[in-house]
Amino acid sequence: MTDAELILDEEEELSLLETLDHVLDRGLVIAGEVTIAVADIDLIYVGLNVLLGSVETVNKVLGERERRLEYLRGLAPGGGE
Amino acid sequence: MRLYAYCTGDELAAEAFEEATGVGGSPLMLVRRGALAVLVSEFEGDAVPATRENVAEHNRVNALALARSTPLPFRFGTLVEGARLEAYVAKQEASLVAALERVRGCVEMGAKVIWDAGGQAAAGVEDDEREAGGSPSAGAGTAFLLAKRREVLGEEALRSRAEGVAAALASRLEGLSRESSVQVNSKGSLVVRAAHLIERGREEEYRERVRALGREREDLRLMASGPWPPYNFSGPRS
Repeated sequence: MTDAELILDEEEELSLLETLDHVLDRGLVIAGEVTIAVADIDLIYVGLNVLLGSVETVNKVLGERERRLEYLRGLAPGGGE
Repeated sequence: MRLYAYCTGDELAAEAFEEATGVGGSPLMLVRRGALAVLVSEFEGDAVPATRENVAEHNRVNALALARSTPLPFRFGTLVEGARLEAYVAKQEASLVAALERVRGCVEMGAKVIWDAGGQAAAGVEDDEREAGGSPSAGAGTAFLLAKRREVLGEEALRSRAEGVAAALASRLEGLSRESSVQVNSKGSLVVRAAHLIERGREEEYRERVRALGREREDLRLMASGPWPPYNFSGPRS
């Protein structure tokens, strides 16, 4: 897997984390009518990471974004001076 | 067969969902009751598997609804009998209509603030400790009291810094956010978890204001997300 593919995967993971953070414990509830089957261990694992505030993935992705931006600024005319 | 409920609103139009499917691939439908409609699809089974695909489908359907109006989203996995759903809407109609008025014309945006590496260090505690008389020759009792003092001062310093971060974010978003829901956590890496209700069309301004704070504060990492249906603003005001 290339670095670009790895970062893309991590971006998707970040997007999933944000989605889980919203849909799993927010929104309207009809009493007793939320029924979830724990079928995907990986999903629940990352969901719990969101809720517990584990942010290693977030830091990694944001750090990589910043490094790429710095690199692109260096390539731009007049950049990197 | 039960119904999977995605969202409810008073501006949901059937033609917007004619070609769309929901969780499990079933067509989307509107259940109307009074002034409200609930966007649903039929679902076979007693529980919704919490898979990436199903979470993405739930999110995609609500994003489709949000593109045209601002609905109140249901939590992932809301499965309900048709009669029970109609009874719920009938009983809650007044409060749901009030909640829709509260969010009309708005979207939810989110901001998360994370301490950067070393950001949790409780600056100043070590100095306080030296002033308190800590020395290599201190006995076990003194060492215990100093350790306790370090713990308490550390927690206080972190709490103070975390509240400062939340205040900085609030200040940055002043005039943009109609309502906010903010959680401050001084003990974890994720120090602020905030949701804001903002007018439609101002999403990029929100992102830029969050980014601007991130550029100013090297000790923090900030991440903006959205637009979302108002997951944090669908219930009673807190």
